[in-house]
Amino acid sequence: MYKKILDQLQILTISFEKWTNKVFSQQYNPFYYHGAVPNLFMWTLFVTGLLLFAYYQPTLDSAYISVNYISNKLPFGNIVRGMHRYAADAMMIAVLLHALRVYFTDRYRKYRWIAWYSGVALIGCMLVIGITGYILVWDERSYMIVLMMADALKQIPAIGPPLAEFFVNGEMITHYTLAMSFFLHVGISFLLLYLLWLHYLRISRPVTDVPLGLGLLLMASIIIPAAVIPVSSGKPAVLIQVPAEFPTDWFYLWLFPMFSSMPAMIVWTVLFIITTILLAVPFLIIDEPKSPAQVLLDNCVGCTLCAKDCPYEAIYMVPRTDHPKFKQLAIVIDARCAECGLCVGACAFKAIDLPQKHSKEIIAKIGDVLKEPVGVG
Amino acid sequence: MAGKKKKILGIVCERSVDLKKHIKNNKLKDKDNVSILEMVCSGMIQPIMIEEGLKAGADGVFVMGCQIGDCHFREGNRWCQDRLLGLRPPNIKKAIDRNRLRGYWLAKCDYKKFIEKVNKFEEDLNNLPEKETVKEPAKAGA
Repeated sequence: MYKKILDQLQILTISFEKWTNKVFSQQYNPFYYHGAVPNLFMWTLFVTGLLLFAYYQPTLDSAYISVNYISNKLPFGNIVRGMHRYAADAMMIAVLLHALRVYFTDRYRKYRWIAWYSGVALIGCMLVIGITGYILVWDERSYMIVLMMADALKQIPAIGPPLAEFFVNGEMITHYTLAMSFFLHVGISFLLLYLLWLHYLRISRPVTDVPLGLGLLLMASIIIPAAVIPVSSGKPAVLIQVPAEFPTDWFYLWLFPMFSSMPAMIVWTVLFIITTILLAVPFLIIDEPKSPAQVLLDNCVGCTLCAKDCPYEAIYMVPRTDHPKFKQLAIVIDARCAECGLCVGACAFKAIDLPQKHSKEIIAKIGDVLKEPVGVG
Repeated sequence: MAGKKKKILGIVCERSVDLKKHIKNNKLKDKDNVSILEMVCSGMIQPIMIEEGLKAGADGVFVMGCQIGDCHFREGNRWCQDRLLGLRPPNIKKAIDRNRLRGYWLAKCDYKKFIEKVNKFEEDLNNLPEKETVKEPAKAGA
């Protein structure tokens, strides 16, 4: 049942992409670069973030002023700030589409579980970065975020109170609160890079760049809104006044409407359940036992073609001494093998094969398939 | 040979056009002169398999994979396309008549387009001169 729904979703995704192919052409279809698009936005965020970093002051007194200074006084400061905000939203959209596509097209489990797990962690980090980013502006909304978050954190049993104290950086809101948010915002951005490395593990030649044309189009989709609808701060935060309501960013701040409408413990439980489900998803479908590709010692000449073609870095060349002529031997790392047969297609010496679908049998079958007199079937 | 349908062999990725419903005894139900051999991925297709198909009596061989850019195993269809174009080793033998080879890159729900392409291929094969088996080096060895 579950599998059938997934199959239908896969067909739906592929038909949708076929349609986008007509608009963008195969070469520039953003869905064929679904991993590279968030990457482009991430680097945009790093670059614009660096520019903002130069002028931002993380203290209660000057945070709001320095952000406004960037917006109003610095040449193009407005655009840089806008790009930073809109690229963050665009990155979240792109990441969610990336995750959905991977899920619908059945490319998240088995040998890909590391990518799925690191992806879940990446989304978690993005949420923390987004929330702390909104605190840095230090307008009424930022103040509310700090209050609500500290309150919600305190309600987690055992680890809650110290976490809240860590988040506020002390008993109450001081200059250090902003310093902590600033640290989390920038520090976890670098953690993203480490997680991305995990995300790219076991993938040979990951597609990390979009073609120039698509890149320009995507950049325009952030720069134009940044220029037309400039990002502005709300009213400055005043620590004695608790603001009644504030505008929500539905990509990063969706937690806060939840916090205000139900007890924090329920929200945390829901989050915990969602994470558990996400982490369990790659193992919901049980497959036949693995039968990774096997190298035939006698036939391998060490030509490296299979190692070059393997899309999952599962084949390595090692030196060999048992043969008078050939100096290298291909070995398969079983855990990484996807059983896709690309190495079989690359081998001209019948030296590597899938045990389940042996190339010799396939070649023998070709004769049989053709032998049947036309019309019998 | 006149009037007789050309034999066509299709070596096909099981994730591209969904042929499971359209195959019986390895033949297409709609066109019984087309034999289909399903593979895990078009990237698994060895040039030997294509050569073997022509040697075993097929008038033409086509290879089908998913749309370029969308391979379940990331790069299989691109490698296969490059091999057909002669850009990536192992190469297809020079003696093989390239007019008898085709590569199609279609998505799962493209059955109509697939049949159109196969019909076109059959028409092209009909317009080709008779297959010269003498040129096959394997024939000389036998």
